[in-house]
Amino acid sequence: MFALALRGLASRKLRAALTALAIMLGVAMVAGTFMLKGSVDKAFDDIFAEANAGIDVTVQPKSAFDTGFDLPESGAALHESLVRKVESVDGVEKAAPAINDSTSIAILDENGDRIGPPGGGPPQIAGSVEPEPFNPFTWVEGSAPATDSEVGIDSITADEEDYQVGQKITISGARGAKEYTLSGIGRFGSGIPLGGASFALFTLPEAQAITGKVGEVDNIDVEASSGVSPDELSTRINAILPQNAEAKTGAEDAAQQSADIKDGFSFLTTFLLVFAGISVFVGAFLIFNTFSITVAQRTREFGMLRTLGASSRQVLATVFSEALMLGIIASALGIVAGLGFVALVTGAFKAIGFELPQSGVVITADSIIVPLIVGIVATLGSAIVPALRATRVTPLEALREDAQGTEKPSRRRVWIARALVLVGILAIAAGLFATSSFGSALPLLGLGLILLFVGIAMLAGTLVTPLASFVGRPIEKLRGVTGRLARENTLRNPSRTATTSAALMIGVALVVFAAVFAASATKSVGDALDETFAGDLIIANTDGFSPISPDIARQVGDVEGVETVSQLSGAPAEVETGTTEQSLIAGLDPATITKVATLDWVDGDNATMTGLGPDEAIVESQWADDHGVSVGDTVTLRTTTGEEVPVHVVGSLRDRVQLLVTSLALPLDTIRTRFDARQDFADLVGFTPGADAAATGDRVDKLLADRFPQAEARDQQQFKQEQEDGINQLLALIYVLLALSVIVSLFGVVNTLVLTIYERTREIGMLRAIGASKSQIRRMVRYESLITAMIGALIGAVVGLGIAIAAVEALKSEGLVLAVPIAGIIVVLIVAGIAGVLAGIWPARRASKIEVMEALQYE
Amino acid sequence: MADEDVASPDGAATGDGAVACRDLSRRFGEGGAAVDALRGVTLEFPKGHLTAIVGPSGSGKSTLMHLRAGLDKPTAGQAWIDGVEVTGLDDKGLTELRRGKLGFIFQFFNLVPVLDAAENVELPVRIAGKDVDPAWRDRLIEAIGLTDRATHRPSELSGGQQQRVAIARALISRPAVIFADEPTGNLDSKSGGEVLGLLRRSVDEFGQTVIMVTHDPKVAAYADRVIVLADGEVAADREVSGEDDVIALMRDL
Repeated sequence: MFALALRGLASRKLRAALTALAIMLGVAMVAGTFMLKGSVDKAFDDIFAEANAGIDVTVQPKSAFDTGFDLPESGAALHESLVRKVESVDGVEKAAPAINDSTSIAILDENGDRIGPPGGGPPQIAGSVEPEPFNPFTWVEGSAPATDSEVGIDSITADEEDYQVGQKITISGARGAKEYTLSGIGRFGSGIPLGGASFALFTLPEAQAITGKVGEVDNIDVEASSGVSPDELSTRINAILPQNAEAKTGAEDAAQQSADIKDGFSFLTTFLLVFAGISVFVGAFLIFNTFSITVAQRTREFGMLRTLGASSRQVLATVFSEALMLGIIASALGIVAGLGFVALVTGAFKAIGFELPQSGVVITADSIIVPLIVGIVATLGSAIVPALRATRVTPLEALREDAQGTEKPSRRRVWIARALVLVGILAIAAGLFATSSFGSALPLLGLGLILLFVGIAMLAGTLVTPLASFVGRPIEKLRGVTGRLARENTLRNPSRTATTSAALMIGVALVVFAAVFAASATKSVGDALDETFAGDLIIANTDGFSPISPDIARQVGDVEGVETVSQLSGAPAEVETGTTEQSLIAGLDPATITKVATLDWVDGDNATMTGLGPDEAIVESQWADDHGVSVGDTVTLRTTTGEEVPVHVVGSLRDRVQLLVTSLALPLDTIRTRFDARQDFADLVGFTPGADAAATGDRVDKLLADRFPQAEARDQQQFKQEQEDGINQLLALIYVLLALSVIVSLFGVVNTLVLTIYERTREIGMLRAIGASKSQIRRMVRYESLITAMIGALIGAVVGLGIAIAAVEALKSEGLVLAVPIAGIIVVLIVAGIAGVLAGIWPARRASKIEVMEALQYE
Repeated sequence: MADEDVASPDGAATGDGAVACRDLSRRFGEGGAAVDALRGVTLEFPKGHLTAIVGPSGSGKSTLMHLRAGLDKPTAGQAWIDGVEVTGLDDKGLTELRRGKLGFIFQFFNLVPVLDAAENVELPVRIAGKDVDPAWRDRLIEAIGLTDRATHRPSELSGGQQQRVAIARALISRPAVIFADEPTGNLDSKSGGEVLGLLRRSVDEFGQTVIMVTHDPKVAAYADRVIVLADGEVAADREVSGEDDVIALMRDL
């Protein structure tokens, strides 16, 4: 039977190749994701290991809790005097202070813009030159900076920006922009690309000054005397350290830093795997369809095998062996193609300025075993139903003339389909409305979507007729008999058309969902900005997320025409509300915030804000409801340094999209002094009434350009545009990844068309005999392809819209409001139609090559 | 009806016949394995006649029809339909020829399963992008006796009824010639008789020219004239009257 299966595959090479291609793409995405993860993980391990190569023990500020990857640094640093204390510990050979700060500086180009991609990019790190053996840099050109007007740059950045030793480079920091002379170019470790990050090295005093840490250091690196182990030494040092500092061995520190950043990158892995899963799922549809058609076409062959004495198990084995072999071959090819996916993702990230750090592609066991299993299981799983159908072929059917009956969906099948749709909707609803975190919602949403899509695909057979008429009638009106034939052809076997178009439905549904969701998010942020922001300008980092220097507020406040500058700051803290939860605590300036922001008070008024005392807080009302906090309560906050700060809740306001307040807001001074928040997230600026807005804006721009080039002032409209651009960039990435699953579904359309054309060879020959031209035959097939694609696209658009509406409804409490981009959806439908026509081109060419002679052939 | 007066090619043996061929040869394969399916056949098929081409399997009768209808290219020789040289046409020219001058009737009726009987009948006209003449269509449907079944799809019709639809389809564009390839090969004798009677009537009533390929003397007996092929050459060619006459003609060889 196995040999028979192999022959079967070989005799249907084209079909096998098309099917294999569909599985291959999904598998390639799975394999590529694992390879990417392996490579990036290894690169980070290498980077941090090299950075800490000469460090036995390192002393760092101690955070009372892990602030995670996405919260900004609080700016906590160690006092310089600690260096002496560490040096005096027995077993310390050498101790050196260092600055290592990734949020304070911006390296500027000749136009005063931050180097790297516009609108943000990888971190730019300010460091101090360290003595041997701690120094991870090797000076390949020039030498280390020796004066406070010199800087050293890492070799990769220097290459990219074409820096020459001796030239001037402007770098802005806590005190504004300053010009430095490039004293040398240093290679970090063995020269591994750092994922686009740049290093600027200064003398220690200059590094302290530019990062706003005069008299402070970020860490103290220690070399152990011979005979003292790093573990032993770190225990001894810890004994003398104050509460806000801790000592770790260099190896521990490297492992932890690497783990932290890998953790941050794991979202990317999950993200990519979700899309890989979608492609595999779409591929499964295609396999199911191909095997269904093949089994139907081979009914006579199976019946003949049964008459020759084959058991139904042997028939099952024939189909299964074919699926197994297809799965193995396609998965193996997919793993190889995974390298291509790695290149695609790496290229996409490079295009938007985030180079993924790599020290060579790492092919882990995971990246071979997982995709292999996924590919084979998906293939076999999809072949089960058609294979079982093959076993039901009776010997009698070998004798029947027209063995390819168009089966009507049975009553049972319809009920199963309805049950699937219902359970799918329930699972999606549970995922959306009944879970508290994205992590726990994801499996439910995934399962729900799979059930929903399979159910709809099974039901789609009944939708095909009206939809084919809806799509096909205009074509028929315009193009006459070829359109008529095309429409009727899609109705010959509605369940086949349904499954084929369902594959495309999935891609279109997800695209429409993403488009609607993104439009809703954009609108929500825009609306909230309109409602909340009452000032004239927002000053924020050019990258959109990094903090800015508090000096900016002071200096902008002196600009002619500016009346109010209100600083927005904040710090991470653990909030005690029965459960302990980490949150970002906002720091607002009570004296000025009400002049530039419209606060939506639930309990209290602007006077509550103006009179906010140092240990008083205002809560975001939704957050307060969720956490059982009400006005009058006292909430205990724990800072990153471990200090407990009890605050008294005196007011409550609604901030739908958490523009100003996520959970609690404290007076700016409290955030500065007790939470050590040194930098600002943004400044809100209000002009003097009657001031010339344009002129004042220009003056602010000029000040920022001259003194603080990493900051940028935007008016409300520009700020909204920027938020929208950010969302659209993410949307574009999602579209690219979904495009892969759409391509898979187009293979499905091609495959089905090729198979049905094969079935209709004699009929097409006859059409030629009665006068149909080649181009008429081609047109007929292309229209059939178009109609099939449009059926999938229309159902998909409705399903995607439905899911998006549900998702927006679920996130209503987070401030999301629905916006439906109708033009965008129409574009999606048009693109799907074009894709359908493109998918039809090649099958149409094949069909047009059928000769009249074939209509005359006696079987 | 192809009654426009097209000038015959110079020196061709087309006469005023609707369909003719000269020195048609077809060789399959090359070298030692080559088979001569047709060896220089020259024939003329006058208008308004039903001609049967008979012969045993391998006699070249199908090859002759394929070449005559422009489905295959001859190794040598020429063929004309209504004054147009078929053997010189490209795909576009052949398509035009099929639209205006050729009708086909197949052994396997080859109706489009998704169209009803009337739609199948008018399909050639619609493919040609012309307007259907409803009176002519209805007359044909009446002639094939399917007026009350005109909206039935092929799967709802018997084999004989399907083949009758195929005949009406071949007649709808009033072609210069209809080629019928074993038109009763897939039918029982009663249905076959009806189908042949219909072909006969199309010649007698509508003046249609029909060329039919068959191996069955009973079928050939419906023809005005029988051409017997053997080993790729014309072995006999004469008018016949009745089945016994055909059998006698074939036995003589």
